[in-house]
Amino acid sequence: MLVKLFATLIEFTGKRKLEISGPKTVGELLEELDRMFPGFKKELERGYIILVNGKNIEHLRGLDTPLSDEDTVSIFPPAGGG
Amino acid sequence: MYGNWGRFLRVNLSTGEVKVEEYSEELAKKWLGSRGLAVYFLLKEMDPKADPLGPENKLIITPGPLSGTSAPTGGRYNVVTKSPLTGLITMANSGGYFGAELKFAGWDGIIVEGKAEKPVYIYIKDDNVEIRDAGHLWGKVVSETEEAIRKEVGSKKVRIALIGPAGENLVKFASVMNDGHRAAGRAGVGAVMGSKNLKAIAVEGSKQVPIADKQKFMLTVREKINKLKNDPVAGGGLPKYGTAVLVNIINENGLYPVRNFQTGVYKHAYEQSGEAMAKKYLIRNQPCYACPIGCGRVNKLPTVGVTEGPEYESVWALGANLGINDLASIIEANHQCDEFGLDTISTGGTLATAMELYEKGYLTDEELGDAPPFRWGNTEVLHYYIEKIAYRKGIGDKLAEGGYRFAESYGHPELSMSVKKLELPAYDPRGAEGHGLGYATNNRGGCHIKNYMISPEILGYPYKMDPHDISDEKVKMLIIFQDLSALIDASGLCLFTTFGLGADDYRDMLNAALGWDFSTEDYLRIGERIWNAERIFNLRAGLDPLRDDTLPKRFLEEPMPEGPNKGYTVRLKEMLPRYYELRGWTEDGRVPKEKAEELGIAEFL
Ligand code: SF4
Repeated sequence: MLVKLFATLIEFTGKRKLEISGPKTVGELLEELDRMFPGFKKELERGYIILVNGKNIEHLRGLDTPLSDEDTVSIFPPAGGG
Repeated sequence: MYGNWGRFLRVNLSTGEVKVEEYSEELAKKWLGSRGLAVYFLLKEMDPKADPLGPENKLIITPGPLSGTSAPTGGRYNVVTKSPLTGLITMANSGGYFGAELKFAGWDGIIVEGKAEKPVYIYIKDDNVEIRDAGHLWGKVVSETEEAIRKEVGSKKVRIALIGPAGENLVKFASVMNDGHRAAGRAGVGAVMGSKNLKAIAVEGSKQVPIADKQKFMLTVREKINKLKNDPVAGGGLPKYGTAVLVNIINENGLYPVRNFQTGVYKHAYEQSGEAMAKKYLIRNQPCYACPIGCGRVNKLPTVGVTEGPEYESVWALGANLGINDLASIIEANHQCDEFGLDTISTGGTLATAMELYEKGYLTDEELGDAPPFRWGNTEVLHYYIEKIAYRKGIGDKLAEGGYRFAESYGHPELSMSVKKLELPAYDPRGAEGHGLGYATNNRGGCHIKNYMISPEILGYPYKMDPHDISDEKVKMLIIFQDLSALIDASGLCLFTTFGLGADDYRDMLNAALGWDFSTEDYLRIGERIWNAERIFNLRAGLDPLRDDTLPKRFLEEPMPEGPNKGYTVRLKEMLPRYYELRGWTEDGRVPKEKAEELGIAEFL
């Protein structure tokens, strides 16, 4: 699957995009990212926006949202503006 | 009186008369200040049917009770007037330092009336007010004018609100600028200033805003600043990446409008995002007065040098909406708009309309002659036409009327992505339907600021709502947002504080500053009163809700072609009657006598 990272997460990981395969849910993906970039989950402690194919996981099944290798996952720290 | 001074400056440019207009604390308790009191004065004194560019229109410039205090972001001011673009009320809001300085000079606002015979500027130093000749300033761009006035009054401290050539030439979407790049941008307040032959208002003040309970106010303010600093948005993303941090988020959510809203997904979004800007051009942040957030960007470019901006909206309006992805060109175009005093959103929206008219063959090469063709992605178009609009040269004269009138002149008004003739900002409502209802019902037309439903629908503040839920809960949330935004504007604060603060926080600061014992509900009631009063102004100006509270046909009939919102339109027909009912209005969107009486504004019906 294609994982896209934004804002401070780019600085934290040094990456904007990653190809990852294996994780079956968003929760598992976060575990995997935390393994690859220790402290990744802590970066999201104050909130996050996670989209699977552009849909917010809050309106899917949260961290249990299933993933397949064709999916695009976008991860943002909390953000606002206008 | 605390917080407010209890007095407005009234300047009649036709007669040269300058007067002090005092008002009671009772009136402040009803309208709070700034946007609130300005709406009150406008309704009380002006015929809403007046010609917006005639001497009968009034230009009311107001900081709020918390402007000029230590309250976080307490530097905002509103420009309230009848808009030449929409024919309705508008309340353009700006940050920077001008609003605070006007407060330091001892004024809660300025009511400008009439029309000067020749170009003038107003110079205010505390109680001293002069109307000075501005013949030598007429025609100058914003930075030159600021510099010339600064020299003339011999002070570094002076803060200036002014217009550029666009305002002088009555471009219907000209802005009032201050502190170089801060704009009271929307719906043509700069043209109203220009129509009065008023080039600038320069202010210097030496007073301290009176606070009811200084100790309590200080502690409250400290607590709220901490809240903002600890908030991941107000204390994190916004200072770090500016408002353009939204580019990627809105794009990934599939509602970043591209090529005049033909789609909601842009391939080149990252290249023009806040992240990319920070990496390539940013040299520092620029906070407004007393702002702990500091979202303003200062960028450096070989072509224009050091310049402030662009905001998220400007990046988009002068970028993706025209199919343009070159960030340097966008920053330059933003700089140009600021120098001429043009609203970036309406400039971009109008050019996008021209591009779609060209794409569809309604606007031809023949008509354009030697001017560059309106092709998507053509950066030459940006720089060329921005100047033509500001000076109303060639086809720029027609473009200066705004996207709606321009498209209408070709027989295709539906190609203008505007509501009530105000060009829409950077969110495709097919990806956030509550936000769409906000556009349709906004008192000043298609604007995002006064009903920012992107917050709950996309960003998750105060909690996440499904962008495609259209239940009563959504409609009620929109009404709260509208009333709350009126309250925050009336306080003199920046709407971005809402990322870290809630309604109770504003109550705490206002009570400590003003010495009142109001509940949160009391304050929200003021917001509701302001919203309804503005609606009454519009109804009297000729607004027909069932005709005008709507969206461009594209959003109602053409499903989003791709991305996460593929297949969606905005179900406005289902939401609008619920909105009217939950507002306590009639079925045809009017404020009934009972509602007006309940809010104490029946005299204006
Ligand atoms: S958050 Fe940004 S716009 Fe608002 S007051 Fe602060 S610097 Fe100005």
